Amino acid sequence: QEVQEDLNKQLFDNLVNFLRRSHSEFQEKTTEWTCRMKSREIPTAALVLGVNVTDHDLTFRSLSEVLQNNVTPYIALLEAKECPGIKNLLQKLMGQLMNCYVDVDSLEDEDNVQVSQNRMRCSMTSLVSWYESVTKKTDSETPRKRRNSSSRPWQSPPVVVVFKDMESFTTKVLQDFIVISSQHIHELPLILIFGIATSPMIIHSLLPHSVSSLLCIELFQSLSSKEHLSTVIDKLLLTAQFPFKLGEKVLQVLINIFLYHDFSVQNFIKGFQLCIVEHFYSQPLSILCCKPVDAKKRVNSLSHNQCENVRRLPSFRRYVESQASEKQIALLTTDSYLKEIIQKLLEDLQVYHENYVSVLRCLHVFTSSLPKYPLGKQIRELHCACLEHQVWETEEYESSLQLARMLNKSDLVTMLQRCVEILLSSSGKEFDKTVEKLKEFLTQFQKLEAEACQEQDVSLSSQKELQKKTDLYHLQKTLLELKESRRSKKLTKFEMLRFEVVEYLDSLVRNYLVPADHKTLHEIVYFNTASVLREHLNAAPRIALHTALNNPYWYLKNQALKSDGGGISNKVPDICIVYKLHLECGRLINLVDWLEAFSTVVTAAEGPNTDSASSAQVDDVIHARFIRAVSELELLGFIKPSKQKTDHVARLTWGGC
Amino acid sequence: LAKKNKENKMSNLVEEYFEAHSSSKVLTSDRTLQKLRKRRLDQQTLHDLLKKVPLAYAAEIKELNQQHESLFSKWMLQLHLGFNIVLYGLGSKRDLLEKFRTSVLQDSVHLVVNGYFPSITVRSVLSSITEEVLDHTGTFRSPLDQLEFIIKRFKEDSSLELYVLIHNLDSQMLRGERSQQILAQLCSLPSIYLIASIDHINAPLMWDQAKLSLYNWLWYETTTFSPYVEETSYENSLLVQQSGSLALSSITHVLRSLTLNARGIFRLLAQYQLENKDNPSYPGLSFQDFYQQCREAFLVNSDLTLRAQLTEFRDHKLIRTKRGADGVEYLLIPVDDSTLTDFLEKEDED
Repeated sequence: QEVQEDLNKQLFDNLVNFLRRSHSEFQEKTTEWTCRMKSREIPTAALVLGVNVTDHDLTFRSLSEVLQNNVTPYIALLEAKECPGIKNLLQKLMGQLMNCYVDVDSLEDEDNVQVSQNRMRCSMTSLVSWYESVTKKTDSETPRKRRNSSSRPWQSPPVVVVFKDMESFTTKVLQDFIVISSQHIHELPLILIFGIATSPMIIHSLLPHSVSSLLCIELFQSLSSKEHLSTVIDKLLLTAQFPFKLGEKVLQVLINIFLYHDFSVQNFIKGFQLCIVEHFYSQPLSILCCKPVDAKKRVNSLSHNQCENVRRLPSFRRYVESQASEKQIALLTTDSYLKEIIQKLLEDLQVYHENYVSVLRCLHVFTSSLPKYPLGKQIRELHCACLEHQVWETEEYESSLQLARMLNKSDLVTMLQRCVEILLSSSGKEFDKTVEKLKEFLTQFQKLEAEACQEQDVSLSSQKELQKKTDLYHLQKTLLELKESRRSKKLTKFEMLRFEVVEYLDSLVRNYLVPADHKTLHEIVYFNTASVLREHLNAAPRIALHTALNNPYWYLKNQALKSDGGGISNKVPDICIVYKLHLECGRLINLVDWLEAFSTVVTAAEGPNTDSASSAQVDDVIHARFIRAVSELELLGFIKPSKQKTDHVARLTWGGC
Repeated sequence: LAKKNKENKMSNLVEEYFEAHSSSKVLTSDRTLQKLRKRRLDQQTLHDLLKKVPLAYAAEIKELNQQHESLFSKWMLQLHLGFNIVLYGLGSKRDLLEKFRTSVLQDSVHLVVNGYFPSITVRSVLSSITEEVLDHTGTFRSPLDQLEFIIKRFKEDSSLELYVLIHNLDSQMLRGERSQQILAQLCSLPSIYLIASIDHINAPLMWDQAKLSLYNWLWYETTTFSPYVEETSYENSLLVQQSGSLALSSITHVLRSLTLNARGIFRLLAQYQLENKDNPSYPGLSFQDFYQQCREAFLVNSDLTLRAQLTEFRDHKLIRTKRGADGVEYLLIPVDDSTLTDFLEKEDED
């Protein structure tokens, strides 16, 4: 648990940092702009943020921080749910501004009291008297600010009001606020920032021309959430820094949720978090999933049971089977030897990760520039493909190699250079040789270039020579030479070299991009139970209800419940009978018929052992059971009482579900 | 291929929908419960009757429950990590949550919200937090203020921890947009841990992206198959006698206490109404016509006596008057036709 919390924290810090950084550019632009704007209209920044509403909070928080640090303005963040009316909006605005004000200046006693007083008054006044008080307050506020700010280098810092979710504000409130504040723009320098989730068109559809003409709008576009995702994946998954890794299926599920459901990076992170929790909770060997330094200690302190657990891992079994027989015995019996081996294997795994990442990046450099992207455009697709199976066996890889063999030289050289950079920056030790080799390739290319130049020189000079008037013999000779050189160009060194490079890259891939499943002890660091994730994050309550009602055997493991298909068995629970009967109906259901059908089914079950004397009693009981089942269906939302016809209920679902 | 399959399924679903809603005419039989000659059960007898029925598959259900109970420690861990837990699946999850409460939460501060209780509101939930948990005896103008206060207190004091268990988060009273918003904001606090259960098939429609991220749900399927005893006891079922509407027994009770003529007047009205029951635009019997008929049957002798009699009926809610488009007063008996028929038959027997 400790490890996990550590990890969690680490992860979060990293993420927050990263998100900050990614926003900072965008924020700087905005701040700069807020400093600059000082005109008669209300300056307004419209931030187009995309549909992932859940991520915006962080953006706004860091934006306000940045704004505050540059001490330009006082900031109020407004949310639509807090401001159903203009009264609440102003109340909220005042409260926040006052607080801001106190925070920034940290003035004592007098001001504080005044602030709280003001706030009280503001909140208690009714709509009419509120207006006066607000004008008074804004009046009284502004000079104070002026007075205050005169001691500062800049005159009258603007007040920034951020509308976090423009779409959900009521138009009336927004319009009123804009009109009111435009009247006071001289005394109170206001700047509005709209957070827009859809498109800037919304401003014009929300605000009529008379209102929007009061605004001086500038548009800002934030990064798309897809780009965020790729950077998050880059930072989280494609580093050797975190010992915890995601398996292919899990990653696929997370990405699918992201791409097909919500575009929310926050939810992606949540899913990742759940993976961590689940992994450390369910896998007893996950204690070994930590930094190599700690791992050594922990391996040494493993108990016998834990060692047994290790022996039970399928990947470890494979490993044992590949060893010599006396070694096998040692592995399976002596704990101390096992621990040694575990340490070695863990180190191997670590090295594998380091190499994997950098080679993956190299491969991505190549494949991402190919036409039609046979292996995917993004590095995450490549990563998934590599994790899924041996990538060099796939058709896509084959075709991308073929395409790579047709690259032209300048591309190839730049790619090689980038590969060298990547490999140099990676921490793996085994790459010295690789780097050397690649550098060699590069120098060869340069040489080639030089040669080509020389050749050209030669040809030029030869042509010059040609132009010189020489004797026939010389001319013939030079022409022959020229021909020769041209022919040799046909099977150039360059092409050979290109083949060589591609071959080498291929070998790199084969060596280092082995899928993790094939590694020994991968279970410790890889989390691969995608079903858990799907169940808990992307649940389908309707399907669960449907299976429970249609096929109760799924849950209640009683032989009697095993149904043979379409028929309505009388042994299933009451509610299932009622449900199945209701499936056969149209839009309206007659309660009497339903009840009769139900009692027919049920009495068929009890048929042999009922006496005719107690049939009335049985009838009542059946009636009661029917009532209970029907009201349960009503609670579940399958039916609702209908007024269309007496004693009928309306069905709310359709078809067979 | 899977995608194509899915698409097929999808279009099937759509077709089924239009099939179900294509014809406005519904073919069902006209039989009604009255004709069954079976007394309507009231809440108490229903309960008694159901007690006699043994629960089917008790052993298997118990096994299911044990499976779910083994997850308790995991839930606790996940709650502490900032997730909230939502339970779905067939069957009442009340007992399961109760078990969770008694076995795990015994020593910690916790709050149980019975969502199925018909008069529960978000306000009462918030008040119970401020009053019982935070020991604050003040009133708030709006739930939003109250929420703000709670959030502030919880942020200030990190030692405060609160477990909230909500049975039926999707119940009538709590499913509104505003109440969900408030609950979501409340439960997004790191020191408030929420476990809720949902039953309605459309429950997830309550939440949009923003609320979902506030709730931070982890879904758990807990199909229990146990009957919804508490939950449905408030559900006004069709088959259970409803106290609100007029029943046959109450009509006869009232009429027994009246004079013969008064009974005759009511009978006349009832007969007239039954004769016109197939006419959907039948507005009722106009007062003038009614007076005429009553006079012919020697039931009243003046306008005034009939009016007095009708006032008496109206006080007992036996009739309703309605003004038509032409300004004439029309008289109606606000009772099911079938009940009325039963009543007339019974009268004939006497």
